Amino acid sequence: MAAGTPPGLRADALAKATGAERFTLDLAPADCLFAGACRPGKALNIAHGRVRGVDASAALAVPGVVCVLTAADVPGTNLQGIVHKDQPVLCGEVIRHAGDPVALVLAESAEALRRGLAALRVDIEPLPGVFDPEEALKKGAPLVHAGREGGNLLLRAVIEKGAARAALKNAPVVVRGEFSTPMQEHAFLETQCGFAQALPDGTLDMTVSTQAPFRDRFEIGHALGLDPLKIRIRAPYLGGAFGGKDGATVQCLLGLAALKAGGRPVRMAWEREESILAGYKRHAVRLRYTLGADTDGTLLALSCRLTYDTGAYAHLGVEVMELGMEHAAGPYRIPHTFIEGRCVYTNNPIAGAFRGFGVAQVSPAFEGLMDALAAKLCLDPLELRRKNALLPGDENCSGVVLTSSVRLDECLGELAAHPLWTGRAAWCEAAPPFTFRGVGLAAVFNGMGYGRGLPDMAIAKVELTEAGDFLVYNSVTDMGQGNAAAFAILAAQELNQQPGAIRLVQPDTERCHPSGSSSAGRTTYTYGNALLRACAAMRGKLLSRAAMPLFVDDLETLTLIPGGVRHTPSGRTMPLGVLARYLPRDDRISVAEFLMPVAQNPPDTGRGFQIGFPHLFFAYGAHLARIEVDGLTGRVRVCDYVAVTDGGRVLDRSCFDQQAQGGAAQGIGYALIEDFQARGGLIQTADLSTCLIPTALDLPDIESLAVDGDEPTGPRGLKGVGEVGLNGPAPALAAALEDAVGVRLRDFPLTPERVLAALKKRKTPSRRRA
Amino acid sequence: MKLSFTLNGTLVRADADPDMRAVDLLRELNALDVKEGCGTGECGACSILVDGVHKLSCLLLAAQLDGRELTTAAGLGGQAAPHPIQRAFAEHGAVQCGFCTPGMTIAAAALLAQNPDPTRLDVRRALSGNLCRCTGYVKIVDAVRAAARELADAPAETPAGEADA
Amino acid sequence: MNVLFPRHLKQLFKALAEPGARILAGGTDLLVRLRSKPDGPDGPGTLVSLDRLAALRGVTEEGAGHEPSGGLHRILRLGAACTHAELLAHPLVRARLPMLAQALADLGSPPIRNMGTLGGNICTASPAGDTLPPLLVLGAEVELASATKTRLLPLEQFLLGPGRTALQPGEVLTAVRVPVPALHTRQHFEKVGRRDALAVAVVSLAALVRLGHGGKIAEARLAWGSVAPTVWRCPEAEAALVGRRLSLTALAEAATLVRTQVQPISDVRASADYRREVAGNLLLRLAMLE
Repeated sequence: MAAGTPPGLRADALAKATGAERFTLDLAPADCLFAGACRPGKALNIAHGRVRGVDASAALAVPGVVCVLTAADVPGTNLQGIVHKDQPVLCGEVIRHAGDPVALVLAESAEALRRGLAALRVDIEPLPGVFDPEEALKKGAPLVHAGREGGNLLLRAVIEKGAARAALKNAPVVVRGEFSTPMQEHAFLETQCGFAQALPDGTLDMTVSTQAPFRDRFEIGHALGLDPLKIRIRAPYLGGAFGGKDGATVQCLLGLAALKAGGRPVRMAWEREESILAGYKRHAVRLRYTLGADTDGTLLALSCRLTYDTGAYAHLGVEVMELGMEHAAGPYRIPHTFIEGRCVYTNNPIAGAFRGFGVAQVSPAFEGLMDALAAKLCLDPLELRRKNALLPGDENCSGVVLTSSVRLDECLGELAAHPLWTGRAAWCEAAPPFTFRGVGLAAVFNGMGYGRGLPDMAIAKVELTEAGDFLVYNSVTDMGQGNAAAFAILAAQELNQQPGAIRLVQPDTERCHPSGSSSAGRTTYTYGNALLRACAAMRGKLLSRAAMPLFVDDLETLTLIPGGVRHTPSGRTMPLGVLARYLPRDDRISVAEFLMPVAQNPPDTGRGFQIGFPHLFFAYGAHLARIEVDGLTGRVRVCDYVAVTDGGRVLDRSCFDQQAQGGAAQGIGYALIEDFQARGGLIQTADLSTCLIPTALDLPDIESLAVDGDEPTGPRGLKGVGEVGLNGPAPALAAALEDAVGVRLRDFPLTPERVLAALKKRKTPSRRRA
Repeated sequence: MKLSFTLNGTLVRADADPDMRAVDLLRELNALDVKEGCGTGECGACSILVDGVHKLSCLLLAAQLDGRELTTAAGLGGQAAPHPIQRAFAEHGAVQCGFCTPGMTIAAAALLAQNPDPTRLDVRRALSGNLCRCTGYVKIVDAVRAAARELADAPAETPAGEADA
Repeated sequence: MNVLFPRHLKQLFKALAEPGARILAGGTDLLVRLRSKPDGPDGPGTLVSLDRLAALRGVTEEGAGHEPSGGLHRILRLGAACTHAELLAHPLVRARLPMLAQALADLGSPPIRNMGTLGGNICTASPAGDTLPPLLVLGAEVELASATKTRLLPLEQFLLGPGRTALQPGEVLTAVRVPVPALHTRQHFEKVGRRDALAVAVVSLAALVRLGHGGKIAEARLAWGSVAPTVWRCPEAEAALVGRRLSLTALAEAATLVRTQVQPISDVRASADYRREVAGNLLLRLAMLE
């Protein structure tokens, strides 16, 4: 961080704003070889096929092509995966989705690589494929993983609390609905990329745009038969990730290339089309819901069946579904729940982690039925939610008693008083010609951390340098969420130093300590807590180390001040740069860990899960959307959007708002614009001209509000808010749309075509006529 | 092909194949602030100013740069002396992952050279060719408007690399 | 591959005679196509850049031209290598051809508009080309020049189909000649996309409506984009509007005619049904012109 950076400025902001920050590809050595994967399914229009052969002769004849590798060249198991190791690094027998790679080409230049890839002749025999998860579960459906016990069903799991079936039978009011949510493309601006070199000492040294540098070593090691502890991974700032860089993307291919490159460095960068073809996607989900309540709106029971299409490989499919199931009944008190989930293999693109991790999909379903219930009972939708909103100490839909902070009702209260809500009737009445106006809201939540079964742990390291400033060894990738900057703030506060005295080392498995992935809204909480402990230890150590040179016999009289240790009564100060020289390096370092608390006495309501169930900490949010619907085209314009978030205490308001606004922006895209299409496993929206994300003209000024909260277990009382914002727009916009045109759409995205069709089908014209 | 052009005020001589793209030549010349996000003109990450005009270097051939004055983000200012636009981006929370940021500042610079007092809608329009996946654009608009106010308050100061309209 | 930068028309025609010569104007279509098919029919060969050619730029207003009806009109001559941004900023284009200005404002994005050219948009001849419906409705002619001669062609005879024009080998589109509409003419353009920038039109409508006595429509010229292989007219709808007011009733009747005549396709951006429905609906917006 540059000296003299004004306080309050995110630590990385100026370097990035001036274009000085170097991302992964910017750091690649000049003499790199270029590696690229051959993914023949796209050109051949085959999503599922038997690999008959790869003819590399023409490719090898291209000047500049160094070698062509196939599955036979992969040492180790040739299987990668985060939990389930079912994904070949290079497919030797069968491709299971159109982006599956069958060969890896190494070349001297980008142009030679391109020509080499174009010259490869791959023979793939088409096999029957399955592209619908419900079809995939039928008897006789083509198997995505031949011979797999369980067939195409990766996992069936249940969360069952109380007796939902009976409760629904007896419920005075019951509402039902079937919903569908689409695949979604992360569309981070920096595509998947990295560079690697096999060093003479046997180390594989890799720099990669990754959310999980420490875990990557084990994924690579397992796939390529390497010792994970002889793999060094560095993760600079990422140009966006949102879950799509969690789990090996380029890593195993790059490692393989490095092993065969004769000691030369190799780089791999996926062009945008390859990123869309081969990168992980949000799971498309089908949801069937039944909600029962009392006549006064008290929720009684919820039963639902969720079908997650996990595509060709498992990635984090089970974990995504698990989290979705934990949230399936919404942030409400419901005594009886029966939540069934099925995670299914198909020959569609691989589904994996994406911000909102299974929860973005269930949110429009539970909120959609809350609105249906409100309509049926003629209750105000906001009041219905407040009535049932979880409170501290309540049991959530999974049976977890919420000993953690819950401020959902406060979020809803903010909306209740917001002029956009209170003035909604008048605003809607004033709709311009051909336009329908509507206002909708949604209550959302999102669990933080890994849940049970997997330690959510971070280990922080702080070092006093010889120069007298501090290095914080960040172990959790900063993918743009600003955790590195947050750590700089925490360390500066804790050590009572100027912001400029704190420098960050970005994740490097050789220099930093394992601390889990940058995901699950956990990094500021878990690593932040570890960092506070490390800083406290450092502070204590520095005070005691300063005692001798300062001739002080009472440590209570010493205090850490910016740049020094001061003996308060006398004012004598030892500069940190001087103190540092008294200490050997290993005494200038403090290391401390933190393990996120987990639900004690977890309920036995969850069956079938290995990790994840249940979570204990949740962020909560209440969102409001004001829209205009063009009656002639079905286009929906979001005029205003408000996101109220409970994230405990707010450490840095700007960073907090960034997460709320950025998440809502992706959620609005997900709800309205991002119509990712695949037919027969073949992606139709193959580049950014058809795979659309919102531009600056497609979004309103998103207002971010924070409710006062406190999560006592969190560093400075905060909890993670990285994901919850994305979950709000789909339900809020569907509600606004129903308010505007009188029709509830349940299939997402809410495309102009769907909206226009709904407008045509209306029997009674809306009172707000064009 | 032998080319010569000014890059951020410095004369550069380069030799490029006819089919080389401008973005590749610039990155080879260590202008690593020029990013590639898509290669098809859909994301704006490769934005540069060519004789003060906002263009996409992924859709320009290197050969087209000959004789031109190019400005990249690094040419607007640096960490020691940032351009008001850059400082505003940093101060207003307009930077998250930062990958779109250099291109965004270029688009903003082009806007403010033509329209020193843009409305929020003007800013959104001017930046509509630059995709950001992180911010939702709100704070980016805040930053550009703040930079506009700052630049308007100091008319005598001509920031480095500021384009002629 | 080879790139040439002719500075005069004579050099341009010489360059065009090279084997595999293709014109590189703004590059916003050509270079994208070359990227996806680098060894395909579009390249390699010789790219002839218009960057240094002043002759194909500029906007001039000419005093005389002949309408088929025999009246005299001013003509705006738009240099084919004018960028969309240049045209959008030009006071004559904004004042005389607001429907074209609207189309230019909706096209692509700011940097795309800074690079893309009018001639390029026309020669790419995409069924969704934003400038094409307004130019057609305005009665534009294209000026085509070769080493030996220059000819004029009405735009509807130049656009032959998706990606196909009547441009002959050795010819270059030098300018577009647009008659300036008469007084009391309403101009309208609307583009419908899947988002509000960087969007390919899903349906677009350009309308030129000349009002006569009592506010009744004397002439209506309508052209749709993205609903046919090239820009599409509907003479029945135009005829149905003559003599009527710009009322929702009249427009709705014309819209019904449009929906029975138009034959759009389904693609990744929209279905044929949607295009058909919206093609009709967009006429209703003309009620706002009153």
